[in-house]
Amino acid sequence: MAKVTMIEAINRAHAWEMRHDPAVVVLGEDVGVNGGVFRATAGLQEQFGKDRVQDTPLAEGMIAGMAVGMATQGLRPIAEIQFMGFIYPALDQIANHMARMRNRTRGRLTCPVVMRMPHGGGIHAPEHHSESLEALLAHHAGLRVVCPSSPARAYGLLLAAIREPDPVIFLEPARLYRLVKQEIADDGQALPLDVCYRLREGSDVTLVSWGAMVTETLRAAENLERDGVSCEVLDLATLSPIDHETILESVAKTGRLVIVHEAPRNCGIGAEIAATVAERGLYDLHAPVKRVTGYDTIIPLSRLEHDYIPTTARIMDAVRETLAQ
Amino acid sequence: MTTFNLPDLGEGLAEAEIVRWHVSVGDVVTVDQPMLAVETAKAVVEVPAPFSGVVKTLHGQPGDLIATGAPLIEFEGDTRSPPATKLPTRAPATRGADGADGADGTERAPLHAQTADSGTVVGSMPTTETELIETALAGGRPSHAGNGASSTTSGQRLRAAPAARALAKKLGLDLTSIRGSGRGGVIVVDDVIAKVPTTAQTPGFTGGEKLRGLRRAMAQSMSLARDNVVNCTLFDDADLHNWREGQDFTTRLLRAIAAGCKAEPALNAWYDGNTQSRRLMTRIDVGMAVDTPEGLIVPVIRDIAGHSTSELRDEIDRVKRAAHARTLTPEDLRDVTFLLSNFGMIAGRYATPVVVPPAVAILGSGRLSRDVVAARDGVEVHLRTPLSLTFDHRCVTGGEAARFMAAVLRDLEKDN
Repeated sequence: MAKVTMIEAINRAHAWEMRHDPAVVVLGEDVGVNGGVFRATAGLQEQFGKDRVQDTPLAEGMIAGMAVGMATQGLRPIAEIQFMGFIYPALDQIANHMARMRNRTRGRLTCPVVMRMPHGGGIHAPEHHSESLEALLAHHAGLRVVCPSSPARAYGLLLAAIREPDPVIFLEPARLYRLVKQEIADDGQALPLDVCYRLREGSDVTLVSWGAMVTETLRAAENLERDGVSCEVLDLATLSPIDHETILESVAKTGRLVIVHEAPRNCGIGAEIAATVAERGLYDLHAPVKRVTGYDTIIPLSRLEHDYIPTTARIMDAVRETLAQ
Repeated sequence: MTTFNLPDLGEGLAEAEIVRWHVSVGDVVTVDQPMLAVETAKAVVEVPAPFSGVVKTLHGQPGDLIATGAPLIEFEGDTRSPPATKLPTRAPATRGADGADGADGTERAPLHAQTADSGTVVGSMPTTETELIETALAGGRPSHAGNGASSTTSGQRLRAAPAARALAKKLGLDLTSIRGSGRGGVIVVDDVIAKVPTTAQTPGFTGGEKLRGLRRAMAQSMSLARDNVVNCTLFDDADLHNWREGQDFTTRLLRAIAAGCKAEPALNAWYDGNTQSRRLMTRIDVGMAVDTPEGLIVPVIRDIAGHSTSELRDEIDRVKRAAHARTLTPEDLRDVTFLLSNFGMIAGRYATPVVVPPAVAILGSGRLSRDVVAARDGVEVHLRTPLSLTFDHRCVTGGEAARFMAAVLRDLEKDN
């Protein structure tokens, strides 16, 4: 057992799987010699060689396209997009080829690709470095979108993603890369995809969150507990497909739902969760569903980004409003 | 002394602005310890110490622009390693905001083996020594965890349409007491409505005539009385056997009321239930119920204790005429302190007359009759009148009412 940060956990998941599966290769900008801008792939090229850890030009479309080619020919590429805001040039390859290769070939070819990328803001970065674009990708059939919120889940879910026969968009909350350490066994044990993780059991209100916002959500739940409010906290973890069953069961118990995400509100994944609860869990609700989200504007640069990202106080306010109904 | 110059922050920029110093002169710094934050055109970057040493001089204040390569910090004495001319954590730059692959994006310097790693080339990585301890239950459900029962039991589930919940809340009804008739036992709006107590829900009909005038006033004042007064009625009989010829029954009743009020002033009073305040009245102004074809009307005989029998009789006759002629003035109807209902002129022995607030008592006299009574030496037949005294028990005690009644009886039973 070792106490590691999320970035170290991601690094170890790469290393474990590369040791055990020679088909796993890594590609992306600065992933080799440099070890990745956040050091996610540090040391991998030294350990596994330049054939398996390849630095690419600054060309995201090419990175995604290479990954499609490698995957259809038997490799298991892990491609890094340096920041999520850089994904747009790669969308053509991801949406038009990676996501639909299985469908197009009627199952003859699949695309076991993991597209890793930092997600979200809060690190005082410049423009294009703080985006939360999960809804954009979740809207595409054929893509699985995963977002861990702790070192242990980063490790276990990344291993599961690499082992999936189909493409996984793996969003890494940059703000959490080095925020805390957690003990992980580094035993190659994957965690289940497509399920929520219940981080806190409660009876008054269900809080659903993912990525870096899980930290604020848990803090809000702790504060509210001192006021006698019992919050159940679910880490969505897999953003597409959503584990609606777990959310619905929790809402059936608590009767109240607050969804917290950093991404803009409009057409966000929170809207999909709220809509599903309206369709399937309406009669369990004691109060209208509330969302605490980023705003429908470009995420500001470093000095104002914390006015954009939902805070513990905003989450607590939303919970109290829900309870007042 | 060793000078540390502002390194090229890896972004190809000529200068940077000091955001804040983390160290002061005299501080001992260790290698990789963050010394200051600088803001370039692109980002806020933490600058770590290139080696361990003691800070001697800081060049520049927060807000100052420092050119790349200009002196930033001077350290005392020798340092373990030579001063770096480049940022130790130097890493390849990311592309600029315009997304173009500028010259800053083409440099590829290997990670310096000896230096600490800030973990990013842009912005700053929040870092703590906190250890995360969590229990993460995959699926969040007992069935996934296999740990048996949790607080989610289907028996406790209460499913209700939001509109039904809102209605129940508005009506103050407990949903758990309502049985759902919707699909799967969902409580729907109709289930809540069915639970509403059926007070004041009388069957409606059409073709009715709207109450007007006296009858409408009676409906209102009686409802008001019903809603406010706590009525309690005491019955007894006054024996008029000793009455001399020519007694005026109504004026004798008024005189008896005056005697009763003298014995128990609490019955000649006003009471305000809202403020729970009582006002004992000095003058006795009796409202007399007068039956007219249009309905009940209650004119006032003022100051019954201060007038002679003949004066009272004249006044009674006047108000009765005026009542039937509908010529009573508002003054004739206002400020009643005691009520009298002489229904016995028509029929009926006892009644439970209704106290109309703010008055607190009403005396009803029933039909005179010749009754067989047990006299001292045997059975006799006496003329008697039944009396019914209703009092507002919120402010009149039973004792006060009974003593009032006793005084009334004593006075009525006098021969004249």
